[in-house]
Amino acid sequence: MMKPLGYFALCGSLIVCSSQIAVSAPNFSADIAPILESRCLSCHNADEAKGDFVLASKATALGFQEGIIPGNADDSLLIKMVSGPDPEMPKKGKSLSKEEVELLREWIQGGAAWPEDRTLKDNPERDLDWWSLKPLIKDQSPKPGDQNQVDFYVNRKLKEKNLAPLASATPQTLIRRLTYDLTGLPPTPEEIDAFVAKPDWEKLVTRLLASPAFGEKFGQHWLDLARYAETHGYDKDKPRTNAWPYRDYVIRNFNEDKPFTRFVQEQVAGDALFPGDPDGVIALGFLAAGPWDFIGHQEVGEGKIDGRIAKHLDRDEMVSAVFNVFQSTTVQCAQCHHHKFDPIRMEDYYRLHAVFAAVDRADRVYTGLPPDQEKEKSKLQKQVNELQAEQRALDSEMKRKISAKASGIDRRLTKLKEKYGNGLKPQYGYHSLITKNQTEEKWVQVDIGKARGATEVRVIPAFDNYGGIGAGFGFPVRYRVEVSNDEKFSKDVRLLLDATGKDQPNPGTGTAKAEGDGKPFRYLRITATKLGTRTNDYIFALGEVEILNEGGAQNFALNAKVTAKDTIEQGVRWGKSNLVDGIFFRELGNEEAMSELRELQSKRKVIEKELSNPETINRIAKIKEELVPLNEQLKKFPKGEMVYAAAASFTGSGNFRPTGGKPRPIRLLHRGDMTTPGDEMNPGAPPLWDGVPDLFFEQAEWQEQEARAELARYLTRKDNPLFWRTIANRLWQWSMGSPLVNTPNDFGRGGMEPTHPELLDYLAAKLRDDPDQSLKSIVRLLVTSEAYRRSSQHQEANAKIDGNNAYRWRANRRRLSAEEFRDSILAISGKLNTTPGGPSFQDFIIEKPQHSPHYEYHLHDPNDPKSHRRTIYRFVVRSQPQPMLTTLDCADPSISIPERDESTTALQALTQWNHRFVEAMSGNLAERLLDSDEKVNHACQLALGRLPNEEEFAILSDHLKNHGNESFARLTFNLNAFVYVD
Amino acid sequence: MSIEKTNPDRRRFIGSLAGSFSGLALGDLMARDGALGGVLHHPPKAKRVVQLFMAGAASHVDTFDYKPLLKEKDGEPWDPGEKVELFQSTPGACFASPWEFKAHGHSGKMMSEIVEPLGEVVDDIAFVHNLVGKTGVHSQGTLLQTTGFNFPGFPSAGSWVSYALGSESENLPSFVVLPDHRGLASNGAKNWATAFLPAQHQGTVIRPGNEAPIADLFAPKSDFINPKNDRAGLDAVSKLNTIHANARPGDDRLSARVRSYELAAAMQLSATDALDVAKEPQYIKDMYGLAPEGPGVDDSGTISTKAETEFFGRKCLVARRLLERGVRFVQVWSGNDNGFPRRNWDSHGDVKRDHAPLAEGMSRGASALIKDLRQRGMLEDTIILWTTEFGRMPCSQGSKGRDHNPFVFTNWLCGGGIKGGTYGESDEWGFRPQDKSRATSVYDIHATIMHQLGIDHERLTVRNNGIDRRLTDVHGHVMNEMIS
Repeated sequence: MMKPLGYFALCGSLIVCSSQIAVSAPNFSADIAPILESRCLSCHNADEAKGDFVLASKATALGFQEGIIPGNADDSLLIKMVSGPDPEMPKKGKSLSKEEVELLREWIQGGAAWPEDRTLKDNPERDLDWWSLKPLIKDQSPKPGDQNQVDFYVNRKLKEKNLAPLASATPQTLIRRLTYDLTGLPPTPEEIDAFVAKPDWEKLVTRLLASPAFGEKFGQHWLDLARYAETHGYDKDKPRTNAWPYRDYVIRNFNEDKPFTRFVQEQVAGDALFPGDPDGVIALGFLAAGPWDFIGHQEVGEGKIDGRIAKHLDRDEMVSAVFNVFQSTTVQCAQCHHHKFDPIRMEDYYRLHAVFAAVDRADRVYTGLPPDQEKEKSKLQKQVNELQAEQRALDSEMKRKISAKASGIDRRLTKLKEKYGNGLKPQYGYHSLITKNQTEEKWVQVDIGKARGATEVRVIPAFDNYGGIGAGFGFPVRYRVEVSNDEKFSKDVRLLLDATGKDQPNPGTGTAKAEGDGKPFRYLRITATKLGTRTNDYIFALGEVEILNEGGAQNFALNAKVTAKDTIEQGVRWGKSNLVDGIFFRELGNEEAMSELRELQSKRKVIEKELSNPETINRIAKIKEELVPLNEQLKKFPKGEMVYAAAASFTGSGNFRPTGGKPRPIRLLHRGDMTTPGDEMNPGAPPLWDGVPDLFFEQAEWQEQEARAELARYLTRKDNPLFWRTIANRLWQWSMGSPLVNTPNDFGRGGMEPTHPELLDYLAAKLRDDPDQSLKSIVRLLVTSEAYRRSSQHQEANAKIDGNNAYRWRANRRRLSAEEFRDSILAISGKLNTTPGGPSFQDFIIEKPQHSPHYEYHLHDPNDPKSHRRTIYRFVVRSQPQPMLTTLDCADPSISIPERDESTTALQALTQWNHRFVEAMSGNLAERLLDSDEKVNHACQLALGRLPNEEEFAILSDHLKNHGNESFARLTFNLNAFVYVD
Repeated sequence: MSIEKTNPDRRRFIGSLAGSFSGLALGDLMARDGALGGVLHHPPKAKRVVQLFMAGAASHVDTFDYKPLLKEKDGEPWDPGEKVELFQSTPGACFASPWEFKAHGHSGKMMSEIVEPLGEVVDDIAFVHNLVGKTGVHSQGTLLQTTGFNFPGFPSAGSWVSYALGSESENLPSFVVLPDHRGLASNGAKNWATAFLPAQHQGTVIRPGNEAPIADLFAPKSDFINPKNDRAGLDAVSKLNTIHANARPGDDRLSARVRSYELAAAMQLSATDALDVAKEPQYIKDMYGLAPEGPGVDDSGTISTKAETEFFGRKCLVARRLLERGVRFVQVWSGNDNGFPRRNWDSHGDVKRDHAPLAEGMSRGASALIKDLRQRGMLEDTIILWTTEFGRMPCSQGSKGRDHNPFVFTNWLCGGGIKGGTYGESDEWGFRPQDKSRATSVYDIHATIMHQLGIDHERLTVRNNGIDRRLTDVHGHVMNEMIS
């Protein structure tokens, strides 16, 4: 970067000594363009055109009225805006230096020369002069002694601000506060009594940090950040049944206190950095945790622009999550232009896309397969994928050629069908259960009530466009038609049609006919001995069966009784009775049209044959052949345990196909627009601090896993000031109630500055330099401070100076989070099941799962014991969030949530007062209180962590006496003293 | 940047919004002033908004955007002169609308027979036929129309309006959603979620005609709750929470919570009243096309004009009653059924079968709403926005359906200072905007609505994860020619 200042020092002396002669104006390219590009073009570019003043080219810059008046610098708006004691421009960042203004002035004065062909682009300087980008401040605290170092920093600040810290809260208040902060649960009356009797704070802290509930409480903080949910979101919000191992991983890692670097590296590149360790794969659930657009990826696919947009959005989501969560950097702002506040260029942003260019979100195996088998399996999978891709390409190329040539025929066919088509009525017919075994015998049978003689039996195929099959859907390849007067077909069986000897061509829209032998029968049975093919499995389906008498005047089968070996009975479409309902697919209702149709169809067949290159046909056949043994081999591997995670190899479906580790080409997108691609980008990350390179590899080829490994290393570098500050700020926030930097996901110039910079850096450095990188040890340090233990009471004098308690003169009173509210009610009513981990419980019923599942919370029974687990183990739905928890400010899993909101609304009051869960648990608490002699005191100890005062006792016992235990319990759950923690 | 870097009071308020602090809680709760504190950016023309959302993508060329060329070229190969990539299919032949179009109003606006009821009010309607989307994916298109972004994580337009203006009534939520009772649109509740705005600005779902139209408004079925202990319980809660709050001065959240129970009780009365359509005179019910058998009208196994009219009309009538009582923003959904038959505007298979009943029901209800608001003097400060995720193609899919068309589609607005007319045309096919360089985006529609509400869309921002977010992202121009 050219430094205008250095230039000026030289130039300035020239001016002085040559003032007598004509001053040569500054050079546009060397002196002026760098100033405009680095300081003005971020807004005054052609796209944004702020104030309509575009400094991109001579025409636009000089075309603006009085913007730049050649020869008259003083009246030029440009100079007016950037000079003076409080210059209006630039809007962002520091003002121009005197020297820079002087250069601009001289340039205008000298005629504002601007080469015709020179256009300017936004080209900001990498300005690292911002608190969060500088190295950590050295520790200034005295050697550890009696005073907790946290208190040293906090108290110093309080003194500086003239604030007097409050005294410690009572032991009763403190144990409730600490138990909620570290475990998210209320302390039991016994725990409270023991602590009040002997208030050993260190011991309490040790016990709670060791409790498995600690991981459940802090894990929830992390899952909020990780935008964790168990459905895809968007349209067709399908469940992710293998997401939960990541949730358990997070909880386990907080409990086991895994070194922080390792914890983060696993979540970005665990598979690359720690091969063989299941955690290295499970942790990649972080990258995959956010929303995913099923339609865009699976139905549209990368072959279309909409599908590529979906991929772009998908990578953007991963990139943003990594940078917002791990180092509080808003890289996503550099998608359409260079970042407006921070030194992040578009190139930096698209380099990060390149890092994730080969991964998608999918189920992958994390354990249950030894590494060599895993390798072998993915090799096979890759072969299969490649063959399938080739087959699809050949297929679609052939279809494209055919439809180009047959377009006239197709239009006529469409027209005919439109005019004479009877259309597809929804009552398709009979459909057996699906099987993987093609030779499983299946039968369907019609009972015509009494024995009758028939002359003809018609078996009409079903029509369903599932998998593009259409006519003849599920029609058996081999079958027979028999009649009998014995319902079980164990005797007296007569064969009317035998098509079991060899494979039959699919009749399509034709009808299979069998002649009757005239002898009466009551039962007709059609037995499939070789089933019809669906996609990868087999079925037996028929549209209609007709049993006709002489001349077809009567159809005995109509509305007869139908039985079958098995049947799917699904909605209006498929059911046994549809076999004899008189409704089936008739292609056209007009004989003449029908013959034209046949003619056109055979013409089309000729074209198909003409254009079907034998080589292609052979190749496709060959591929199908090759796939059989490969798929067989694949099936032999144990399935293993699956997690929904970032993956480059997985079983694809529809248009959603794995890259197999081959990165998709990434281009810089001008204005973030898919249709205006720029240069191809290689992996890298923004150089946000001194000494870190911006590109990961020198060569143009790279390994997918290695790129993510490099990113993991970049994040966790000891000299990355953002990384360590970010986690220090979060640990403070999670322990103390509010963060030191009030924008926890943004430490850039758009965010806030720390209230205690030295303290933040002290904590950051302490964690960084701890050989165990123990998060728990930082939490311990924080909660053992005096600052943590202060009273939460109001104090007028302090409040006048620091109403928001930014400097921690008191503790922060807080409301229970949505999860704490629910967990506490379960605990208090004696129903909480503390079993950790495993698949999530569902507090909804899924209806209509076929398309977009309906998640119906109101149908769930709140007394279902399966749902009485801690809220962190619930199945988190994206499109239909849990209504009660949402009203209580639960995190929205579509975005990284660094801090919960804490709103107070009438709808919350309605929820807490009237929700079925609260009603049900009131019943349970009432039952728990039955044996208690002092119900009021007992309930208060459970819910409020203390005994009621006299006034409270009077009101509560009055209600208990007049309205019973249940109503009293309901009241308890609605008390401020319950939902707030002092 | 004019915001002080270390003043947490100020930054908290317009910044992360996390953790309501003293002094804010009560204001949050009442939500009467909104973030703008009653001081708007400029004098408003409108006070409230109704968004009518046709889920599944309503066909513009079969309703409001008349294309005679399609009739002329019906069945012929369709060649727009460029390669066209569609969502599900390859482009079929040119496909004329199955319906007749007829001139309406003084303006002579041509409209399809299936939206004929809107002919009566057509001169008040501003049509925008050159709206463009971003992709042809339902979820993205829906989110784009409801939140201004085509991926999740952003507040609904209704949440923004609620956040900015607050409610005119403290007894009703400021943003109400009337979903199709048969299902939710793509993205479900994300279409009325607050994302990073405070929870009270989320759309409150009301299901008119349901046994419990608002969740948790009243006590659930219970063995022990009765009106007596319910009332006594609330009294005790109030007393106890007041004692608690008084012992902890300086923390407004605690007294706000006391008040929240009082407001909840008031809401029980006012919401019940607002939803009591039985109080409406018969001629009003007839105007909206309510069925004699009410919301229980049978639509099993079929799609019928009668049922669709009842469903949509009832929601429009309830919307009017809510608006009258101070609700700021009402979202009304049509056609969210993905079952069979598909009572959904997503007519890939058969435009004629699906669009006729849906459009006839919609236009009856929408027309009644406009007339009803007008006769009450409310049309002048209520904006009605008719929208959908994108349009449908001028060519056929299969023989009777149309595929998605994100390249151009129609919105219309009415009331709240919007001038009737046509602003922006599509090309002769209804395939793309007539003038690509002057296409309208959702940002322009949102900017215009915000402008009418007295809000400068560029100045209503909330910082989230480091970015000053607004409804219109970094885009949007007020459509000045459309407003009076």
